[in-house]
Amino acid sequence: MTDRDGAHRDDVRLPSLARRRFLAGVGTAGLGATAGCLGQYLGDDESDAREGVELFGSMRLPPQSRGGTPMAELPNLSGELSVYSGRHEWLVGDLLSYIEAQYDDFSIVPRYESSQNLANKILTAGDASEADVFYSVNAGALGQLAKDGRTLELADAVLDMVPAAYRASDGGWTGVSGRARTVPYNTEAFDASEIPTDIEAFPQRGAFENEMGWAPGYGSFQAFVTAMRVLRGPQATKAWLEAMLDAGVQRWGNEQLVAQAVANGEISLGFTNHYYVQRVLANDPDAPIATAFTRNDAGAIFNVAGAAVVDTAGDRSLAENFVRHLLSAEAQEYFAVQTFEYPLVPEVEPVGDLPPVDELQPPADLDLTKLSDLEPTLELMRDVGITV
Amino acid sequence: MRTIGLGDRVRDDARPARIGLYLASAAVAAAVLAPLGWLVLGALSVPPTSAVELLTRSTTVQVFLNSAVLVVATTAACVLVGVPLAWLTVRTDLPYRRAWTILVALPLVIPSYVGAFAFVSAFGPRGRLQDLLAPLGVESLPSIYGLRGTVLVLTLYTYPYVFVTARAALKTLDTRLIDAARTLRHDRKAAFRRVVVPHLRPAVAAGGLLSALYVLSDLGTPEFMRFQVFATVIYSASTYSLDLASLLSLQLLGVTVLVLAVESRTRGEERLAGTQGGSHRGDVVRLGRWRWVAPLFPAAVAALALVVPVGVLLWWLVDGGSGLTGVAFDPTYALNSVSVAVAAAALATAAGLPIAYLAARRESPLANLFERISYVGYAVPGVVLGLALIFLTTRTVPALYQTLPILVFAYVVRFLPQAVGSTRASFLSVNPRLPEAARTLGRTSIGAFRRVTLPLVAPGLLGGAALVFLTTMKELPATLLLRPTGFETLVTFLWRAQENYAYGAAAVPALLLLAISAASIVVVLRGEGYDVG
Repeated sequence: MTDRDGAHRDDVRLPSLARRRFLAGVGTAGLGATAGCLGQYLGDDESDAREGVELFGSMRLPPQSRGGTPMAELPNLSGELSVYSGRHEWLVGDLLSYIEAQYDDFSIVPRYESSQNLANKILTAGDASEADVFYSVNAGALGQLAKDGRTLELADAVLDMVPAAYRASDGGWTGVSGRARTVPYNTEAFDASEIPTDIEAFPQRGAFENEMGWAPGYGSFQAFVTAMRVLRGPQATKAWLEAMLDAGVQRWGNEQLVAQAVANGEISLGFTNHYYVQRVLANDPDAPIATAFTRNDAGAIFNVAGAAVVDTAGDRSLAENFVRHLLSAEAQEYFAVQTFEYPLVPEVEPVGDLPPVDELQPPADLDLTKLSDLEPTLELMRDVGITV
Repeated sequence: MRTIGLGDRVRDDARPARIGLYLASAAVAAAVLAPLGWLVLGALSVPPTSAVELLTRSTTVQVFLNSAVLVVATTAACVLVGVPLAWLTVRTDLPYRRAWTILVALPLVIPSYVGAFAFVSAFGPRGRLQDLLAPLGVESLPSIYGLRGTVLVLTLYTYPYVFVTARAALKTLDTRLIDAARTLRHDRKAAFRRVVVPHLRPAVAAGGLLSALYVLSDLGTPEFMRFQVFATVIYSASTYSLDLASLLSLQLLGVTVLVLAVESRTRGEERLAGTQGGSHRGDVVRLGRWRWVAPLFPAAVAALALVVPVGVLLWWLVDGGSGLTGVAFDPTYALNSVSVAVAAAALATAAGLPIAYLAARRESPLANLFERISYVGYAVPGVVLGLALIFLTTRTVPALYQTLPILVFAYVVRFLPQAVGSTRASFLSVNPRLPEAARTLGRTSIGAFRRVTLPLVAPGLLGGAALVFLTTMKELPATLLLRPTGFETLVTFLWRAQENYAYGAAAVPALLLLAISAASIVVVLRGEGYDVG
């Protein structure tokens, strides 16, 4: 265990300045057109990009493989492919260029905008849509497209690469990389065994009183509360939020600050996406911070960025094979090391001490596309007195 | 006969140029107002029932209350610090008055968010002070976060507004009026109340207004201090709830207008102190045995406001602290700051030119209106302007969203008043006879402007441009909202470094920002010939 983790740590501790600047953010080139629905589909990428959240890592393509299927073993790509990318150029542009460079007669025509904008464009354009592949920051926009019958069912060869929980059950889209909700804790304050595996238990532990932190203004936190609302209903969610407030949970501006505050000992535990802990550790490998997971509840949701083949794709097999390339060893390695995201191919190991994706225990029957229904969540949070 | 003929010719020749000036001014005024129009449209698109529901929620009311308490408390604290300091340095025999005057005016040089950064990194739970005290067994310090810390930091960096204006008023106070009051059997207190207070009030109100407007528009300080006010909530909500962000923005604008109204009411009909001539400055108040105790007050203020942040930043510079591999300062960030600031300065000066010229030369109501409109940016907090431009771009030309042209446009709107003010003043200083003389010698009106007026006003234009340049370099909220992804400037880097607790990495940009601010104050003082004596 330690050998492996040590090796990974080294990987993520070799930042190259140019690369980091290149990767400095993820976001959207466009913003939803109306005030009301804007928030629903802005993923964490948008706020991360705005905050200029920095993604570290040594950009080394081709990488030493962490497992998975190398691009060399996948069908060749040739021709021109139109990719609508809701993930920002700063995040995935390099990866797309890399794939492009592997083949002599293959070129990508990317269009970078917010996932929701692009989904709307595809829906509005109907048969005239020029998009071959839709690459989204979250499941919500993918689900919307699939529901309207605008995506083609992916071949089993593609779908089988990803655990069933992280792709559409009807094969309309597949996740490509993911972000896990976690409980970072200060290792000087608590042992791993002292961290509850049930999200309900946190406000009840006396030892956690005034020692917990969260960032309610952050998109992923709101997705987590949305998940709780979907899984347990608004009343139970409200009760949990109120109990947390009673337990003196402290508010921070974003989840990076929560993770840092845990590492600094300002608080003893927090609720953040998994990669914030990795960023803290990339800064300071000796920081007394570790990652805990709850089991089978909203505290452990796992959200994905994913891709779909649009029904107007000119060359269906080219589009499908391109999606397979996003699941290749190189691409998955790229996500693990460059963005600290979770690779979705179980053979590809995540960085740091993180367990592989198939060992996580997210809530079993949660439809990820429902996490985009934000407005009732915001109202719920406002009801208990959280300013969002 | 000959002169009349010339006069006719001159008028004919000037008319198209004048129409051009009015058209150009109208275009600039429209451009300044456009973002606000879109903001209002955005807020109106929220269904009225949910708008009312959102605005009356306890969480929204709390934001309003937090902001109101912060503004009132900070402004009051500014008066309590600024006025006594002004009195000490103007009306008493305080030793080394000149030096103290400069010293306690200097915090104006430090952008409050740089101060907040220094205070959080020094006095925060894991800050430098805690590190120092830890061996002595001090486990934790009183929290710097929240209302108290925010008021403290904002007061330290905005009281100089009150200090400077109160000084000007005290210097023009005719002390014979106090003597007269005393002869009319007023005791000291009554004389103070009936003579000094009315004289000081407009100046203190003007200084307090500047402090209050600054507090309302500041994003960095409350964010670093983790205190939720309009600016921080609008900024955060703009990623997930434009409804809330736009409604709060309108509310914030309303509060700003209210502050302006309160100030103009407090000031009353009186002219601002400092413009009256012929004052009589009598003997200073003798502090007696307090003379050597009194300097402790300015010394303490200067130590807190200047020594702490500069000391902390220098310390971070020398000893960067732990774990900074992730966030490193790159000189291109400074270059980015400079390029957008140069563009903003050039554009603001050009856009301000017709408005300032008309305001200085023509007493028409339209010219007045344009000038007033150009001052809108002064009262619009950066976060509101940023949000308004998000509305404008995403609803009209999405391709412009988060691009450099829009960012520069935001700076121009926000800082146009500085360009207009400075340019207008320099036009006023040019005797209109001079270009007229050039025209009798055969120049066209445009030719006369170019060959005579422009060279004379050039220093004023440059001064205005320099001011816009320097304030643009320091602007935080609009930059954060509108910059292209990955476009990093000095202030955005400082923001990110704070977020990552990369205090050491922030030392260089923070010190650079201090130097820039210092330079901007020098420009202001030069332009106004401010007298510290």
